[in-house]
Amino acid sequence: MTAPETTSAPVPTPAAPAGPVPVEVIDRSCRWPVMVLLVLAAGWMVVAGLLAVLAAIKLHAPGLLAHQAWLTYGRLQPAAWNALVFGFASLAGLAVALWLTARLSGAPLRGGGFILLGALVWHAGLKFGLLGILAGDATGFEGLELPPYASPMLLMGYLLMAPWALLTFARRAEPEACVAQWHVLTALWVFPWVFAAAHLATTFLPLRGVLQAAAQAWYLQNLQLLWLGYLGLAAIFYLVPKLTGVAVPSRSLALFGFWVLTLFGSQAGMARYAGGPFPAWMTSVAAAAGALTLFGVVAVVLNGAGCARAVMGRLRDSVVLRFVVLAGVVFAGTAALSALNSLLGVREWTQFTLVTPGLDLLWIQGVAGLALLGAGYFLVPRLMGLAWPMPGLARAHFYLAAAAVGVLGVAFLVGGWVHGVALGDADLSFLGVAKRYLPFASTGTLAQLLWLLGAGLFALNLLVLVVRACRLAVAPVWRAWRTPQPEEVRP
Amino acid sequence: MKHGPLLFLGVLAAVLASWLTAVVAPHFQIGREEPIPIEELGIQYPVDRAGEAKQGAEVYRALGCNYCHTRQVRQEPLLADLTVTDLGTNAVEARAVVASLRRDLAGVDGSHLPAVLPQPLLARVRFAEADAARRRLTNAGAQVELTFANRGADIARGWGPRRTVARDYLRDHPVLLGQVRFGPDLANLGVRETNVMRLYLKLYNARIEMPGSTMPRYPFLFEERRLRPGAEPSPEALQGFGFKPPPGMEVVPRLEARQLVAYLLSLKADTLYYETYLPRPPTASPAAAANPAAASATNAPAPNAPVPPPQP
Repeated sequence: MTAPETTSAPVPTPAAPAGPVPVEVIDRSCRWPVMVLLVLAAGWMVVAGLLAVLAAIKLHAPGLLAHQAWLTYGRLQPAAWNALVFGFASLAGLAVALWLTARLSGAPLRGGGFILLGALVWHAGLKFGLLGILAGDATGFEGLELPPYASPMLLMGYLLMAPWALLTFARRAEPEACVAQWHVLTALWVFPWVFAAAHLATTFLPLRGVLQAAAQAWYLQNLQLLWLGYLGLAAIFYLVPKLTGVAVPSRSLALFGFWVLTLFGSQAGMARYAGGPFPAWMTSVAAAAGALTLFGVVAVVLNGAGCARAVMGRLRDSVVLRFVVLAGVVFAGTAALSALNSLLGVREWTQFTLVTPGLDLLWIQGVAGLALLGAGYFLVPRLMGLAWPMPGLARAHFYLAAAAVGVLGVAFLVGGWVHGVALGDADLSFLGVAKRYLPFASTGTLAQLLWLLGAGLFALNLLVLVVRACRLAVAPVWRAWRTPQPEEVRP
Repeated sequence: MKHGPLLFLGVLAAVLASWLTAVVAPHFQIGREEPIPIEELGIQYPVDRAGEAKQGAEVYRALGCNYCHTRQVRQEPLLADLTVTDLGTNAVEARAVVASLRRDLAGVDGSHLPAVLPQPLLARVRFAEADAARRRLTNAGAQVELTFANRGADIARGWGPRRTVARDYLRDHPVLLGQVRFGPDLANLGVRETNVMRLYLKLYNARIEMPGSTMPRYPFLFEERRLRPGAEPSPEALQGFGFKPPPGMEVVPRLEARQLVAYLLSLKADTLYYETYLPRPPTASPAAAANPAAASATNAPAPNAPVPPPQP
């Protein structure tokens, strides 16, 4: 962290600070950019929750609110997904990434004004994008729906924000980067390439035929694993040692897991279209890569098991740790199931079923969402110098979010299997298939409702804290202005 | 990891490698595909859509139909049966191969194998496995028959006569393959549904015709017009299939509905050509064996054969 710099260590850049920077200085440099990003993320989380609940209800109540084109399922669903991914998860991820980079580099965050501007450009772009989706301008590719006038704005906003993390990293006090830092930097580095390449290949300079879908599958895999998944893993790898006081048990194991996940994880996207209209080798490569990611997952799990005892002792009194540990557990389960799901024998039964959206949502809400919420609960009091006004709400949020992810996982994975078996039974009419999956799809509504309630509690807690901080900041000025000035003494 | 640049270059290389395998390499393989002429039908497949259907594709995209409907027919897992019809002149070697494939048939010495001909050898095994066994047996001089044991649930449901291949989507942008089947597959909707009125009614309210359907209603694609007293409803007004318009009203499809239905009717991926056609194995039937040119020269499937898969 901010360990004193040894004199023998090579100084990375000439501009590196001479001595260790106090944590308070680093936190103060982060206060505005990170808090603005987090407040925006909390707002988007509520919006995404509302849209997701509405979309989930429409799946089993198809006659509801049917008269409005913008409220049809085919528009609400992508709007909810984009609000969740680019509103909540990405903005919270950026907030955590910037703060973690500054803390771990032992250097104050640079470029605060640009980051604020970038956050607003991203926010505005996403607003245009969501309105566009609801108006029917979505590009149609699942996960890449943002219309062509919105996606460049997001990229522009990103390019105003993320480079400052790299510039801060370049001025780091310690040359050795730690495990959490690899994940943060990889996520920050990968996102713009993946986002830009996928939008170019599908929308701006579309490839021929099904290659558009191949680019989309590649993008979704990298978005879920290398962007959101790694931001979540970074929070886990930072906060668990921090809160338990036990270092990551094996650095080399972590290094192995990191490279295995990066190398094979990014190859595994095409498993999404197994058996589809593609050359068979494409899905075979993806299936093999997906299976190989298991080694990386095992490495992460072994590292986690190494500090399990220390974690269990502290779990009772730290909400942050609970969020983060649950995210780790969900990561292990989701990554293992994703690897299993890329095997062709399994894919035959799970393709085109609830398993596909189920695993996607587990990556976003279960892995990235839970870990980033935990990080949010950790960093806000430190940045603002104020405790959470309602710690009870934070505990309630944990139980709601955990229940949401649990219900979601069980309903969509079990339901997906039922759905797949029903689809595979050619004697069953499609109405019969619908009857089989509907109970599980309706349970998805419950999961989204629980998630929305949790989001509301988080937003409320954050709002009260920000208002309190503003009042504290304004109070002395107000009091000074209100107190009558002593009259000038005339000579 | 002391070297920041190493991290960045390594990660960039990994992501670039995945881009190369997922997009660039396939681009060299199928990225320059062109529609192919099919002389028997006098068309270039895939057929370009008419203007109204092209506009309908935009409606399909804007309403997000692909969030519930896929447009790809799978044919997996493909299973096959293998039957020995004749052991040929080198019966010893053929018996050895049979014995290696079916140990339970071998008995104590394996000398009287197989007892009766034709003998079913493999049942409902993976196509690749059955094909490998066929090759070994024919190399040993035996005559075998390879038949498909299933066609996959999609084809059995009538969602298409064959699996979809990359060329089917050459005219599409965006290519909306779909990921979840909350509704049936639409790759061949235009083949199995030719009644325009039924499609309109499905869009207006799918539960009129099919109670229990989970399809959303799209009433905003239709105009509810008041009828002048005594006037007949216009010819394009919704009717039939148990639909009763509100009294004194008629429900007429708007432009978007007409475009969408034109597009839905144009969804066809049933044309057979070499890419979607696997000739029956050479020793499959006496007729094909007697006239092998006829079996390989035609684009139409053999009348009684299940539609074969493309060779990927």
